[in-house]
Amino acid sequence: MALPSIALPGQFLGSASQYAPGPGTHIHDSNVYASIAGPVITSKRHVDSQSQPSKPKTKPTPPLPLLTIQRPTQNESVLGILGTGNGGGSNILPEVESVVLARVTRLGQRFATLEILVVGDTVCREGFQGLVRREDVRATEKDRVKIEEAFRVGDLVRGQVISLGDQSNYYLSTAQNEFGVVMATSEAGNQMYPISWKEFRDPKTGLTETRKVAKPF
Amino acid sequence: MIDDRRRINPPSGGTSAPVFARTVKEPEYLPSLRPTRERGPNDLRKIFLQTGIVPSASGSAYLEIPITQSKTTSLIPPRSSLKIACAVHGPKPLPRSAPFSPHLLLTTTVKFAPFATRNRRGYIRDSAERDLGVHLETALRGVLIGERWPKSGVEVIVTIIEGDEDAWWGDSFEGGRGGAGGGWGLLNVLAGCITVASAAIADAEIDCVDMVSGGVAAVVQDQENGKEASRLVVMDPCPSEHRDILAACVVGYLPSRDEITELWFKGDAGAPPEELIEKATHAAAASMSVLREVVLEAVQAKFQGQLPEFKGKSKRKNDQPDVEMTG
Repeated sequence: MALPSIALPGQFLGSASQYAPGPGTHIHDSNVYASIAGPVITSKRHVDSQSQPSKPKTKPTPPLPLLTIQRPTQNESVLGILGTGNGGGSNILPEVESVVLARVTRLGQRFATLEILVVGDTVCREGFQGLVRREDVRATEKDRVKIEEAFRVGDLVRGQVISLGDQSNYYLSTAQNEFGVVMATSEAGNQMYPISWKEFRDPKTGLTETRKVAKPF
Repeated sequence: MIDDRRRINPPSGGTSAPVFARTVKEPEYLPSLRPTRERGPNDLRKIFLQTGIVPSASGSAYLEIPITQSKTTSLIPPRSSLKIACAVHGPKPLPRSAPFSPHLLLTTTVKFAPFATRNRRGYIRDSAERDLGVHLETALRGVLIGERWPKSGVEVIVTIIEGDEDAWWGDSFEGGRGGAGGGWGLLNVLAGCITVASAAIADAEIDCVDMVSGGVAAVVQDQENGKEASRLVVMDPCPSEHRDILAACVVGYLPSRDEITELWFKGDAGAPPEELIEKATHAAAASMSVLREVVLEAVQAKFQGQLPEFKGKSKRKNDQPDVEMTG
């Protein structure tokens, strides 16, 4: 049976023995149905593809084509005006292992509180509360980490979600070279540039400040 | 009602609409204004539906069942028209006080505008509005795939700008029995709420098992030439067009799965209530055809220019007449 070009929620797409369900679809009575409205996309999957973490395990024999319903991508012209909290952005949720950009909002003795602004490449509609515990700041010498030497309120941090956390916070980790502070402002209020894995320098005053610095590309 | 001190309140007894002298002087004038059902028993009123009307919401829709043109000379419209707006906010993070939830938490709020009915409504939600909210929540909970959105909540906010009335307005002057203890209009309002909320959820791209639509059917007994007519089951009853509604039923229906998520039955339908429920699902299936068309149109507009195969043919049909249906 031919696939429809645009599917509506609840529309029959094919048998589960022919297709694998991807994002935007669900299985009911061993058939794949659409669960959101949008264009249907089939993709031949490679055996070693790791792109879809939530994908069901199939046998190593030729993998079934993956059926997905595309969500509309963001309109770049709108992004400049609208951001988080203004009705712009998409309703994406942080998942475990997703890479996020977050702004530090509060420092504590044992953790730093952040507001997650971007998940993957997508700007969130609303900010999510996140938290980096002291032992998740870096991979080595975990017991000597001091939160105030790793972050400052207002820094922009790239991190990875390690847990959906408790009732209010997602738990983030910066314990990889690529993760850490990507944009930092000094105490004088200037934008700083990274000089090592643990230091930023203020170009105006010449002073250095300690951070858990994300590795520039 | 709780005393609302923050707003300017209307007189507590309500205000009464003007009584025109002609209705008092000529006793046969008022009954001549009574609207009658002109469509067949299986025909629905026309439905207008559009998504994406609230830019700050993640999904929104507006539904209207317009007044059909009538030949009466009175300034008072013979029937009410149903106008419902719905905004969906979310999925968004739960408030700090809420406990951890592994799935999506649905909150529905139904509110009549103060001017939505002939009797003025308060600003604070009353029991009928809360009741409608609970019914709507049951109807929607069955279609959402909540496990895909952990730790988040979605708010469905429905505002009724104009509601279907419970009986013809002239009955209160005539002292007729049709107006007494009705509440039949609420069933039409609920069916509209289900359909419009379903369109808004589809607009918000929240994963659903199917689209749900609302439909109403009623057992009516009309008087013709002074004598009681036989019972008749009609789809999409407009309460002001009927003298006596004996029973009515609203369903939230999932056509692809042939399932019902919500059933509200009112009155005494006589021996087989199944016929009434059956008719209500037929009405729901009919409004689904509008819903499908509208959601499809919205998707084409969203993906306009993003996908090569939709270029050219994917214009939103603004210059074409809107989707209208009669049953």
